[in-house]
Amino acid sequence: MPRLTRKFLGRHEVILFLAVIAISVIIGLFNRAFLSVATIFEILRGSIPYALMGLGILPVLLLGEVDISFVGVAATTSLVAHTLLHDFGYAGGIGGYILIALPLGAAIALAVGLISALFRLPVFAVSLGFWLMLYGFNLFFISPEMRFDLPLGLVGFYNHFLIKVQDPIVGETGLHVAVVYVVLAAVAIWLVLRHTVIGRGFYIMGGNREVAVRTGYSLVKLLCVAMAVNGALAALAGVLVLQCAYKRFFDPILFRGAELYVIAAVVIGGTSITGGRGSVIGVLLGVVFVQVITRGLIYLGVEPTWQQLVVGCMLVVFFILTSLRARLLGGHPGRSGLTRGEGK
Amino acid sequence: MPTFLRVEHISKRFGGVIALDDVSLGIEEGQIVGLVGENGSGKSTLIKILSGVYTPDRGEIHIGDRRYKRLTPIQAIREGISVIYQDFALCPNLSVAENIAIARWVFSGRRTIHWRRMYREAERALRQISDQIPLDIEVGQLSAADRQIVAIARALLEQARLIIMDEPTTALTEKEITSLFRMLKRLREEGIAVLFVSHKLHEVKEICDRIVVLRDGRKVYDGTAAEADIRDLQVYMTGRVVEPVQFAARAGEVEGPPLLRVEGLTLEPYFAAISFKLKRYEVLGITGLLGSGRRELALALIGVLRPAAGTMEIEGRPVKMGNIWDAWKLGIAYVPEDRISEGLHLPCSITANVILPNIRRLAGPLGFFNYRRHRGIGERWRRELSIKAPSAETPVRNLSGGNQQRVVLAKCLATEPRILVLNSPTMGVDVASKAAIHRFIRELCDRGMGIILISDDIPELLQTCDRILILKRGRISHALRGRAVTETELHKMLMEG
Repeated sequence: MPRLTRKFLGRHEVILFLAVIAISVIIGLFNRAFLSVATIFEILRGSIPYALMGLGILPVLLLGEVDISFVGVAATTSLVAHTLLHDFGYAGGIGGYILIALPLGAAIALAVGLISALFRLPVFAVSLGFWLMLYGFNLFFISPEMRFDLPLGLVGFYNHFLIKVQDPIVGETGLHVAVVYVVLAAVAIWLVLRHTVIGRGFYIMGGNREVAVRTGYSLVKLLCVAMAVNGALAALAGVLVLQCAYKRFFDPILFRGAELYVIAAVVIGGTSITGGRGSVIGVLLGVVFVQVITRGLIYLGVEPTWQQLVVGCMLVVFFILTSLRARLLGGHPGRSGLTRGEGK
Repeated sequence: MPTFLRVEHISKRFGGVIALDDVSLGIEEGQIVGLVGENGSGKSTLIKILSGVYTPDRGEIHIGDRRYKRLTPIQAIREGISVIYQDFALCPNLSVAENIAIARWVFSGRRTIHWRRMYREAERALRQISDQIPLDIEVGQLSAADRQIVAIARALLEQARLIIMDEPTTALTEKEITSLFRMLKRLREEGIAVLFVSHKLHEVKEICDRIVVLRDGRKVYDGTAAEADIRDLQVYMTGRVVEPVQFAARAGEVEGPPLLRVEGLTLEPYFAAISFKLKRYEVLGITGLLGSGRRELALALIGVLRPAAGTMEIEGRPVKMGNIWDAWKLGIAYVPEDRISEGLHLPCSITANVILPNIRRLAGPLGFFNYRRHRGIGERWRRELSIKAPSAETPVRNLSGGNQQRVVLAKCLATEPRILVLNSPTMGVDVASKAAIHRFIRELCDRGMGIILISDDIPELLQTCDRILILKRGRISHALRGRAVTETELHKMLMEG
């Protein structure tokens, strides 16, 4: 293979993009309705919360840490914001929610990061505790029930589109305005990770901690930045999902279990669970990939009870294919351990 | 040449241990200085003082007309002192260019990355010493030699005037060592000084202008490389004349088929057409530089790697091995080269480590295992090999390197092998334990075992082996009688293309 083609095909994101297209076409062959502008917009709409949370978890994973508490952060912050605003008789739009939820989310996640840094614990361990704590807090202190009492300013937000289309099957639909938040977050994180010295610190820390420290990076600082971003974006996802995606109420157990989907999507996007590898484009593609599969299964008429099984199988197959491709292109060095450390 | 750096009367102690004792040493610009010494001689303490990691208790460091009581890591870098560690300290997930240039971007206080400029900077540094390595490839895909070049390029970009290299040849093949030496000579021409830290005397003598020997924290030798004699250096290093182990070759007297007969063993790309015989009462040395296939050959002999072609016979009977359990059953035991990761369970006791290979045999009929009943086994081996530990229940982690190696030996011997394959058994072991292990190898041999000793320690091979095979690019290039060659001859055979 010529070098350029090899390099191009060597990029995980390219393969993923091609896979998304291929799967969409295959589903489209069975059900023409799948290949429509309306479906694309629906998939994008469904991707919004996952994409936000995926972008948030990316810097954490780059450091080689794993967090699952972000879903709890999303649930708590959105519910707290709603309760507060409701008690004050707020009648405005999404702005008030974001103003409260975002800093609160950043603060809670920061606490997770600080505890793990202070006591030298893996973030994962601390986040397990926070996951339970946050959902427990919601059910016990705030409200064990879903809350449908929306402020006036939010009515109609569900159908607030950037671009409108008429679809023969679903009627009027379009590209939801909340996509803007995803684009803004993605661009911001991409700029930081790719073009700033602190952003490169995440990759260096994930690649070799000793080098990073010797170069002058501080793990605690980077972890705090990562967790704050993680919490803020999860909170954003929490308040947006209620209005733009599939729910129009506030839910104390919002996203419970979704952390696995988010992490799966991010890992599909080429992010390494052990740190040092991952990109913004990869995260976005990974999220879309999972959405295409889940939605595609509906169009293929797979019964909802079978969906998780099928999605799970597809994930395993996808990971096996990725590993085979890496071996074929010589991308990652072999991990057999038998020829460790001895170059060609 | 003007002096670049001088350390004067440096001392450093850790608790009650004196790591460095009144060491003075000067390095001239464009000079390659070899720093040699056994483990614990103070080499690494000196490196860490020069790079600003440790503060000396006494003494001064002079660089140019500046005088330091101590250096901080930042000062060391500013003064142009750069250390290339054994693991090269690189990020495998980042590109060559970023690995070379990122530290400079951070130190110069820049906040944003200008990728094109970064690549240009990295390119300028890298092309001074290599025009092979692409800038945009991930470092994790490079060979050890190329990674070392990247690390040197990073030092050059940081305007290094003294590059300290810690055991730079351990991970390199013969060709790569030759090209490293060429590179060092080119750096020398540009006035860059190199402190070449190594325990391989032949290499040090070959490349260095001057040699400094440390022993027990003191400088015991300092002179030009041309005048240094390797035998003398060895004495300076170890502090005593190492008495060669006396042994009588008895293998000739043995009748019947050989203990092990290997015919045409092949596993591309590691080794090919390997044939040899091993008799009882014989120590067969196999040597070769890194990448010669010596490690893979060892793994094939114990059933971990499956050769693609060739046969093995034990006492005339052909054998086939699928895994290491098969090898144990046939009476082949293996002492791996990296005892920490392949040979021992560090948190477990001596007993637990020693009984592990026999655990299936010792377990009860239902597969349950009564640890307490077998405690005596550990105790027996502890005494037999005089392992220094309070009891056989001591976790292996708390033992010294030499004693850990004895536990690995005990573990292998507990399987009552006929053939023992040892891979670099004295790597990272102090002088006293080393001599003891050599004696022990001969002793086992005298009990009738056949021993294959894989090593790149030339004196070790000459002292303990009856015969020596040299591997090159996976093939046997020389087969020698152990007594028939000198160290210098053997070193030459190893290094020549």
